[in-house]
Amino acid sequence: MAMKKFINDPANLTTELLDGLCTAFSDKLTLVSEKLVCRAAPKDSDKVAIVTLGGSGHEPALQAFVGEGLIDISVVGDIFAAPNGPKVFEALKMMDRPAGVLFVVLNHAGDVLAANIAMEMVEEAGLNVKMILTHEDIAPGANAPAEDKRGLVGCVPLYKIAGAAAEAGKSLDEVYAIAERFNNNMATLAVAMKVATHPQNGEAIGDIADDEMEIGMGQHGEAGTGPCKIMSADDTAKAMVERLVPAIGAVGGDKVLLMINGSGATTHMEMFIVYRAARNILADAGIETACSMVGEYLTVQEMGGFQMFLAKMDDELIDLFNAPCDSPYWTVR
Amino acid sequence: MADTINADNVMAMLQTAVTVIRENEPLLSKLDSVTGDGDHGAAMVSAVAAAEKALAEWDKTSLNSLLHGVGWGMMCIDGGSTGPLWGSLFMGMSAGAGETETLDCSALAEVFEAGLAKVQKQSKAQVGDKTMMDALIPAVGAIRAAADASASINDAMAQAAAAAAQGAEATSGMQAKFGRARNLGERVIGHVDPGATSMSLLFKAFSEALSAREI
Repeated sequence: MAMKKFINDPANLTTELLDGLCTAFSDKLTLVSEKLVCRAAPKDSDKVAIVTLGGSGHEPALQAFVGEGLIDISVVGDIFAAPNGPKVFEALKMMDRPAGVLFVVLNHAGDVLAANIAMEMVEEAGLNVKMILTHEDIAPGANAPAEDKRGLVGCVPLYKIAGAAAEAGKSLDEVYAIAERFNNNMATLAVAMKVATHPQNGEAIGDIADDEMEIGMGQHGEAGTGPCKIMSADDTAKAMVERLVPAIGAVGGDKVLLMINGSGATTHMEMFIVYRAARNILADAGIETACSMVGEYLTVQEMGGFQMFLAKMDDELIDLFNAPCDSPYWTVR
Repeated sequence: MADTINADNVMAMLQTAVTVIRENEPLLSKLDSVTGDGDHGAAMVSAVAAAEKALAEWDKTSLNSLLHGVGWGMMCIDGGSTGPLWGSLFMGMSAGAGETETLDCSALAEVFEAGLAKVQKQSKAQVGDKTMMDALIPAVGAIRAAADASASINDAMAQAAAAAAQGAEATSGMQAKFGRARNLGERVIGHVDPGATSMSLLFKAFSEALSAREI
């Protein structure tokens, strides 16, 4: 059966999508050196820059979060594949400044390899760059070694927190400390209902039976905690909240950011129903949902399912979350 | 005539590798769609295309510049883990070749050991972890063992190819400790690792090219 996607030659997927993205949002984005999605109006050179990397295929992430108060440069790879180390170094060098660069890396094998190669080049060149690694996926268990825990949608609010701190003129050490605090108090758990297809080769990504779902499936179809029979929205939300809350050490009286991040084929209707259930379960535990995000931020092509994300918030983090920003897919006035 | 190889022989080895890898793209993609995200075939095709470009653009100055060009070209592809790991292999081999223009079996072993060492700066994977290292480590070990036993270069590379093929086949029974497949647990058992497969194809191609040369 032909792949049911509106694409041309699969070899040109990323090139065409970046051209479309950066021309559709030409007031906010500009494409540099084929793979660097940059702010159309760069930030002041005395502020900390935020640079990140990742494969395409997860739209809107990461590229559509380039903008004021968010990411300065997103280095883009092929579908689900990290960009190369030298290209990442090119971006870091481009944003080099005395104020320094916060380099946000999601924990996936290819991304970490490229980042390590780029950081070797950073050290040789003597640039002021601090790397932060996101690894908030609790599918392998909240106490699993950090290298087993993938970086999922948590990077998106982390860009917001770090980006706001940078816009406020904080130093690299301060921006890093704030980002790391957020990084260490967040958790994501995914659930998949329906597999997606890889647009480059039409192969199914992952494998789920018709009457099953899988909690913990990764954003490239990586296995989770094993399939189970399909549950109701309320039961699914309960199962997930019950793992996420202890993972971030949240207790009654705490405030959290709750996000339902659609994987691409799950309707917004479903997302709101799940959000409602999760918010109520949190409230029953005395936990206040101080910040909310419901939508498609980091998708997996047409995967059915979502990532549920929780982060423990304090007043400083809430202020940074609510600070102004302007990108194609996230604007706060 | 001493049993040595030079840059022209290495060029032939690399050109054969480009052809062999290209021919096997569907196999590599299929293997990767079972245990990964299906892109290893495409990644290897990108890697060998970069190598081919580097070979064509080589300034013919030295063996190490030939290997360096291939390594850097591979480092610059967008192929997930493949670019940095294969790039590191050839950049390491380039450094291992140093100023030498003709390699006897022992020098050839040193070149491969330097390549392996550079890869190991980026990856902690060992034999048994179900990665390309299951093919690469035995292959390099076989060349070293052959050199120590005063074997011919052709025999050394044939033994390397056999060790790599055996290593790749053995990944079928393993769980993955690295890469995307690590989250699949037991579900990967019964499937060979695509990265080990492409690495064993590299040594197969090297061996074919060396056997085909006129001595």
